[in-house]
Formats: sequence, C-alpha cells, structure tokens
Amino acid sequence: MHKKLFFLITLLAGILCTGMTTTLLADDASAAKVQKLIDAADAARKEAASVGGEWRDTGKMIDSAKELLGKGDYVAAAKLANEAAKQGHLGYAQAMSQKDLKMPSYLHYE
Amino acid sequence: MKKVFQTLALIALACGIGVTAQASTPEQDLQAFQNFFKKRFPSVEMDDYANGAYAIDPAGRENWEAIEEFPPYEPFIDDGKTMWDKPFTNGKTYSDCFPDGPAIAGKYPYWDKEKGMVMTLPLALNQCLEANGEKPLKYKKGPINNILSYIAFESRGQTTNVVIPKDDPRALQAYEDGKKFYYARRGQLNFSCASCHIQNAGMILRTEILSPALGHTTHFPVYRSKWGTVGTLHRRFSGCNQQVRAKAFKAQGEEYRNLEYFLTYMSNGLPLNGPGARK
Repeated sequence: MHKKLFFLITLLAGILCTGMTTTLLADDASAAKVQKLIDAADAARKEAASVGGEWRDTGKMIDSAKELLGKGDYVAAAKLANEAAKQGHLGYAQAMSQKDLKMPSYLHYE
Repeated sequence: MKKVFQTLALIALACGIGVTAQASTPEQDLQAFQNFFKKRFPSVEMDDYANGAYAIDPAGRENWEAIEEFPPYEPFIDDGKTMWDKPFTNGKTYSDCFPDGPAIAGKYPYWDKEKGMVMTLPLALNQCLEANGEKPLKYKKGPINNILSYIAFESRGQTTNVVIPKDDPRALQAYEDGKKFYYARRGQLNFSCASCHIQNAGMILRTEILSPALGHTTHFPVYRSKWGTVGTLHRRFSGCNQQVRAKAFKAQGEEYRNLEYFLTYMSNGLPLNGPGARK
C-alpha cells in the first residue's frame, strides 16, 4: 500500500515538474522572442530619430511593451512592440520623404 | 517616335529638376508669405496680425479684449522686473549683459556670426546668467517667463526686423533649415506647421479657429488659459509638434532656434506686442 502510494506521489511529482519545466522553457523562449521584437522596435525608433522623424508615442509604446513583458503578457507586449516598430519605420520614411524642401503650391512667387 | 518620347521625358526630367533646385531668396519668401495672407484675409490690416487669431475672429476678439482689461500676465511682468533689478551673487545685474535693456526683444533672434548660430533672447539671458556664475533657467516653464514678460512688455511697439546677413552663408542656411522645418510634414498626423497655419488658417479645428502664421512670433511669451501661466515660444513649438503626434525637439535646440529665425523673419514689419494672452 505504502509502496503504491509512494510510487503514485513520485509519478505525480515527476509529471508536475516536467510540466513546469516545459512551461518555463516555453516562457523563456517567448520572452526572448518578445525581447527581440522590442529591440527591433527600439532600433526603428532610433533610426527615425536620427533623421528627426520620431513620432510622439513610439517611445512610450516601447516602454509599455517592456512593462508587459515583465508581467509575462507576451501577446500584448509583442503586439505593442510590432506597432512601435511600424511607427519607427513610417517616421523614418516620412522624414526621408520630406528631406528636400517642397514649397506648397498655395504660396505664389512672383 | 521613340526618340520623341525620350526627348520629352528628358525635358520633363530637366524641368522637374529645375523646379526642385529653384531657390527663393528670403525676400521672395517674405513677399509670397505675406501676400498669401493679404489675399486670404483682405479686410485685415497688416499690423492686426500681431493679434493672432483675434485678427480674424470677431467673437474671440471680444473675449480677448475683455481679458486684456485685467491682463493675466501682469504679475509675471512685475516678477520679471524684480529679476531684472536684483543683483546676481557677484553684484552684477542683467543690465551689465544688456546695457540697452530691458527693451531688447526687437533685437532677437539674430545671427551670431562669432558663434555661428541663431541667437535667441532666452539663450542670451541664460548665457548672461552662466557668465555671472548663476544657474541657467529652464527654457519652457518657470521664471524665464517672468524676465521674458518684462522684456517683452518694455519692448512693446518695436518692430520685428530679423536680418539674414548676406556676408555669412551659414545664416542663410540656418534660415533655410528653419523654412524646411516649417514646411515639412511630421508626426503620425502627417501635418506641417504650414498645413494648419497657412493652408488652413481661419478654418475651425474642433472649437478653435486656426491662427494665421503671420504674426505668430510677435506676442511671446504668452499667457495661455490652457496652461494657466505664461510660456515661451519654444514651449508652444513643442506643443504644436506634439499635437500632430511628432516627438517634440529640445527647447533652444538648433531645430527650434532656426525655426524661430525663419518664422520671425516672416513677420518682419509687424509690431511687437508681448506678452500676450491667448486661450
């Protein structure tokens, strides 16, 4: 009886530990992936800033993504990081498109 | 036929390059800029542009005139006078840095050939403080607005007269950089300064009438009801940039100094009437 109980407890503990380890490994992998997304977003933000094209909320979005990552909310963190990266790329493209002065047609020079 | 197309394409390309490369002088820019507003608001007297949106908004003007009967910026002028008169730790005062003061607002911004940069009044004030062993003031909020209010008040009636010296190409470059900043679209909303204050001046945005760019620099520092205090021109630049969801630049950094240089030049000929009161 005792032997059976001991066996069952050991088996259960084994299953639980394996499960936890798997979850932890999965978490580590997710965290690393999200961190990469955040790093990419920050690089995009910096690239936009280097040409004066950073948008107002990009940095804040990256900070929020970091916070969410810390809390383990990988899906929300990844979503925000991707959005921030998009803003960084658009900000850069916008600044490059405005690199040369374009005088508006409504100003008339004589 | 192919050759004809090639020739036409070349001509079109050459014309395109010609338009892009065509540069206008500051004088031509000024004329085009001021003429735009003369045509847009033919009944507005030139000097009235110094009153911002109230030059084109009769209802807003009534409120503003009522506010001006008990100007909210008055205590700031008084505090500024105290600052002007109070000796620094070394016994000197602002007068030692600005012997022509306090009515010196009309001299700024100017091209400082020696430093190779646009010199603005707040920057000059802080340089004075630092040269006398004092701590510089913050450029957007706080006591800098007191001393600026006092100087602006004492300078009322002076005329905006920014000069782009022809003997230093760096001055023209600073002006051009400021101009480019003004007409460049930025931020998530993809607006330029000109989108609101030239192209759409006089239009209503939510509950507000967009003020004309002409005269934008005459009345700073300004008491804004929204702020509940007096703020600097660069604080306003910063706020405008943020409204179009662009990251603001540093107050008194090169971008905003050059922008001030260009924008003030565009108001050449208008009277200085700071400090002002706005919504």
